[in-house]
Amino acid sequence: MPIRQGRDASATARDALVRVRGLHFAIGERSIFAGLDLDIPRGSITAVMGPSGTGKTTLLRLVTGQLLADRGLVEVEGRDVASLRRTEIYRMRRRMGMLFQNGALLTDLDVYENVAFPLREHTRLPERLLRHVVLAKLQAVGLRGAYRLMPAELSGGMARRVALARAIVMDPQLLIYDEPFVGLDPISLGVVLRLIRRLNDTLGLTSIIVSHDVHDISAVADFCYLLSGGQVIAAGPPSALAANTGDDVRQFMHGLPDGPVPFHYPAPDYLEQLRQLG
Amino acid sequence: MLTSLTRELLQSLRTALEALGAYALFGARLVVELPRALLRFGLIVEQMHNAGALSLVIIMLSGLFVGMVLGLQGFDLLERFGSEESLGTAAALGLLKELGPVITALLFAGRAGTALASELGLMRATDQLAAMEMMAVDPVRRVVMPRFLGGVLSMPLLAAIFSMIGIFGAQLVGVQLMGVDSGQFWSQMRSAVEFGDVMEGVVKSCVFGVACSLIAVYEGYHSVPTAEGVGRATTRTVVISSVVVLLLDYMLTAVML
Repeated sequence: MPIRQGRDASATARDALVRVRGLHFAIGERSIFAGLDLDIPRGSITAVMGPSGTGKTTLLRLVTGQLLADRGLVEVEGRDVASLRRTEIYRMRRRMGMLFQNGALLTDLDVYENVAFPLREHTRLPERLLRHVVLAKLQAVGLRGAYRLMPAELSGGMARRVALARAIVMDPQLLIYDEPFVGLDPISLGVVLRLIRRLNDTLGLTSIIVSHDVHDISAVADFCYLLSGGQVIAAGPPSALAANTGDDVRQFMHGLPDGPVPFHYPAPDYLEQLRQLG
Repeated sequence: MLTSLTRELLQSLRTALEALGAYALFGARLVVELPRALLRFGLIVEQMHNAGALSLVIIMLSGLFVGMVLGLQGFDLLERFGSEESLGTAAALGLLKELGPVITALLFAGRAGTALASELGLMRATDQLAAMEMMAVDPVRRVVMPRFLGGVLSMPLLAAIFSMIGIFGAQLVGVQLMGVDSGQFWSQMRSAVEFGDVMEGVVKSCVFGVACSLIAVYEGYHSVPTAEGVGRATTRTVVISSVVVLLLDYMLTAVML
């Protein structure tokens, strides 16, 4: 059941919080992006999808300044990430929150201290005010009662919700989710999907979700980009992508085992190989 | 044949020099971070507890046994020359100048060094360091520096405790068991051991502290983020630390004698 709340169709036409133009990036000899263009509109939930190894996580690392583009432009809030100094990149990241695939909670701190961590590092809030903020964020993800638990005592879904509370504790503008649905049971999945939508709308965030989970993404995203071969091969609302008849898009969206991405890894003729091997 | 051997040797030399350069750069970064890290002394104290206080039992036990062995061997040797009353001096000098700093450093590398390397390696493997980066928190400043300084500050204290317990162990065997005169044991030690001898041990343990802690945090921080990678970083920490400690010990002894 879609959780989208009918955000206006002109969302993509609004000014973009993240703008990528002509992005080229390679790891060694292997080209990851070859002229990638995309916009992340403010206030929307934008999904970046694609088969494994298409560079979805690499794109996030380029947007957050952990990697620098070989060529092309990656702009966040109108500023070229490549031109920023280390301190400026850190300042930019204070306005970003990121949810990692496994939550990436600090294992030696309990839930409360994990959520309080960015506040303790970046602010000098009095303990009483800090407690209010942390408990409010934990309440938003439904885990106020678990504030004294250690990360090892949390289920996968709970850990991701705590990580979500930590990601929003500094009131970011941009929230980035890296494969947020992996390994979640249906109940936790439903909770996380609703939280992503609710937090985006109530806090006025801009969200980027990287995933290859077509069904779950379709339930929550306003706009989708489908990447393959280092470029965007389709873009639009989830329904438009589902209706796309292009071979590449259809194979991915409907999970077809064979197509432009072949089922078989390139190999010599089977009979010939058997003969050679005796 | 000879050419390929030469090429391999040159390649190995180049790899070793690159590793040395990487260590130097990482060390330089830690030096740059030092003033800011000292401002958050609470974090350092926490790590002194992990690296130092939690190593106390193994250090004290080892110190006791090393001292007892030193008492037995020293007594056996000195008795041949009829100078068993010098046992206190021999044990104290051996422990303060040599055995205390060296064995403490080797034990530190095995207990605290491996713990540091595996902790940092696991933090990398589970994206905790990447999460800190994304929260605009520099992991070197917040995680590596307190652990490094905790190790550096703990080592001389542990070495002092090791030597102290070792002397007690030597006295236990020499005086209580073998019958060396207690007054001779202590008075000869007091008159023969000079401030410079104590300082030699302190300097050595400080240098070993820097070396062992740097190796542990470097290997852990740069480990490959897999189970195998963390295991390899832990092993490298012990192996490199042990060799470096013994090498530095020779160099420092040669300089300070």
